[in-house]
Amino acid sequence: MSDPKPSSAAVADDGGLKRSITGRLLFFYVLGDVLGSGIYVLIGSVAGEVGGAFWAAFAVGVTVAAFTGLAYAELATKYPQAAGASLYVNKAFGNRGLTFLTTVLYLSATFAAAGSLAAGFAQYFGQIWDLPPALLVMVLFVGLLAFVNYIGITESVVVNMAMTIVEVVGLGIVLVVGVIYVSRGDADFSVLLNFSSGDNIVFAIIAGVALAFFAMTGFENAANVAEETIDPSRNFPRALVGGMAAAGVIYVLVSMAAALVVPVDTLANSDAALLEVIRAGILPVPVAAMVLVFAVIAMIAISNTTLVQVVTQSRILYGMARQDVVPAAFAKVHPVRRSPVTAIAFSAVVVVLLLVVGDLLNRIGLEIDIVERLAAVTVVLLLVVYAGVIIACFKLRNQDAREDTFRAPTALLAVGLLGNVVLLYYVISTDPGSLLWCAGLVAVGLLLFVAEVTFGKRDRPPGVERGTPVEGRKH
Amino acid sequence: MATASGIHVVVATDGSKQSLAAAKHLLTFADPTRISDVSVVGVVSPYASVAFADDISQGSSDRTFREAAEDAVATVAAVFDGWGPTVHRRIRSGSPANEIVKAAGALGAGLVVVASGSRGLSATVLLGSTAQRVQHSAPCPVLVVRPTRKPKKA
Repeated sequence: MSDPKPSSAAVADDGGLKRSITGRLLFFYVLGDVLGSGIYVLIGSVAGEVGGAFWAAFAVGVTVAAFTGLAYAELATKYPQAAGASLYVNKAFGNRGLTFLTTVLYLSATFAAAGSLAAGFAQYFGQIWDLPPALLVMVLFVGLLAFVNYIGITESVVVNMAMTIVEVVGLGIVLVVGVIYVSRGDADFSVLLNFSSGDNIVFAIIAGVALAFFAMTGFENAANVAEETIDPSRNFPRALVGGMAAAGVIYVLVSMAAALVVPVDTLANSDAALLEVIRAGILPVPVAAMVLVFAVIAMIAISNTTLVQVVTQSRILYGMARQDVVPAAFAKVHPVRRSPVTAIAFSAVVVVLLLVVGDLLNRIGLEIDIVERLAAVTVVLLLVVYAGVIIACFKLRNQDAREDTFRAPTALLAVGLLGNVVLLYYVISTDPGSLLWCAGLVAVGLLLFVAEVTFGKRDRPPGVERGTPVEGRKH
Repeated sequence: MATASGIHVVVATDGSKQSLAAAKHLLTFADPTRISDVSVVGVVSPYASVAFADDISQGSSDRTFREAAEDAVATVAAVFDGWGPTVHRRIRSGSPANEIVKAAGALGAGLVVVASGSRGLSATVLLGSTAQRVQHSAPCPVLVVRPTRKPKKA
């Protein structure tokens, strides 16, 4: 009785250790998460930056992201745990400050991403019903997703897969429009080589890539389910890189279709650019009905990705609280729902504050596009995290490798790292204002840390160091 | 220890104190000679914000969700030490209600024990709890252990 474990049969009997995420489920998880994140929201802005050739920006963005994905794939097969970037940086450097910073940057990125996506959602919503103010739609959207996260129905793999299929169908509709248009002989293919800033093609592409990159984010959340992936060494790299590649191909084709069917200026000035492709009226279906269907699809796509971001936020805060770097309240789970109530509510408040600040800035006359602004902030934060993950991957090269560990090609990792650094430099130099937002978000993380250091002593017996597991603390 | 003729009981735990109480409740009235096996089942939900939260055992702050589930299952399994039936520990992965029902089916369970932590509005309004969903589709009788109301302090 003193040692309970040996007296009951081992957990492993008759497959008791069953994991549930197959390669296919992971593929759909990645694909759905990536597809919802940018193309519905940002394609118009990317077109505006680059010109008719904006497919090239998506192609480059996808490539840089996929090379980063390789580093995640290698590290997730070595350390199949749910923590992602912070875990890898911690394994590589063992420096608590650096680990904390990585976690906060990642957390901040999920806040900004959720904000950008919520604003994108409101734009599509406004296309079908423009009566409610956009800010109200955004706030209700964030609140609704927090609620869904709270009641815990995110656990349904069936729903996740269904949403992913809806997203693919939406983009499939755009492709069908493109194919019909081309087959009629109406297409002018020269537009695909058209750059808005004629003299400097590289510059134009990089400008687009910085935004297009947002469309690839979300893949890093695949680490969330690494722990539960069946045969991770085989399935994780395939599903992650496969999902990203599939998303990349879809993006490039959708961009080409959009550029061929709709004038680039129209795309660039539209709030919901992919709707313009539908409005071109090429499908033999009443345009009004099609616009409604497509707007709903776009909103489902955006919701799916935002939900993953919202889940990730609360999970990061929960993990941080367990590590004693933020107040213990964030580790409290609801007794029945088993979801971290405080973490969920806090995250929703932060995202809503971002949106309110954006709205206020607009009201006082600083014209900002909140979707683009928060997307750029997400990209800056994630580029730093991604670069850190690739460096961690290099540092851990000869450690903890088993026979079956996936090993990413070194040259591709190097290109990925270079790509991340170049993009980071570009985004910061052209849009230094985004750093203010980043700083604001990071400050939230620091404030939580200060709160824990100042008030967090009560839940720890005297003399116990921060971060040490306390025996019987839960009792 | 185990008798071939007894039933197989599945005891589910979500890491909550209530699930530990449910396991203890089974001990208070069930006849161990009529039970051949007890399987303690914990379910890790990979897509949920907290894939498994363990409130009933001690564990390091950096254990994985799966390790947390293993700890919680071990704590509940320890309740049945020396009781008689053979005790098994199982971790499953997926949506909790679904996996508990599947485990009951796969094990040919004669009884499923679950805790229902809810007492009030949330259970009625929010699409039902895991316990409700298990009751709805389990292949065998289900014992739902509801929380007893705490006596009011003066």
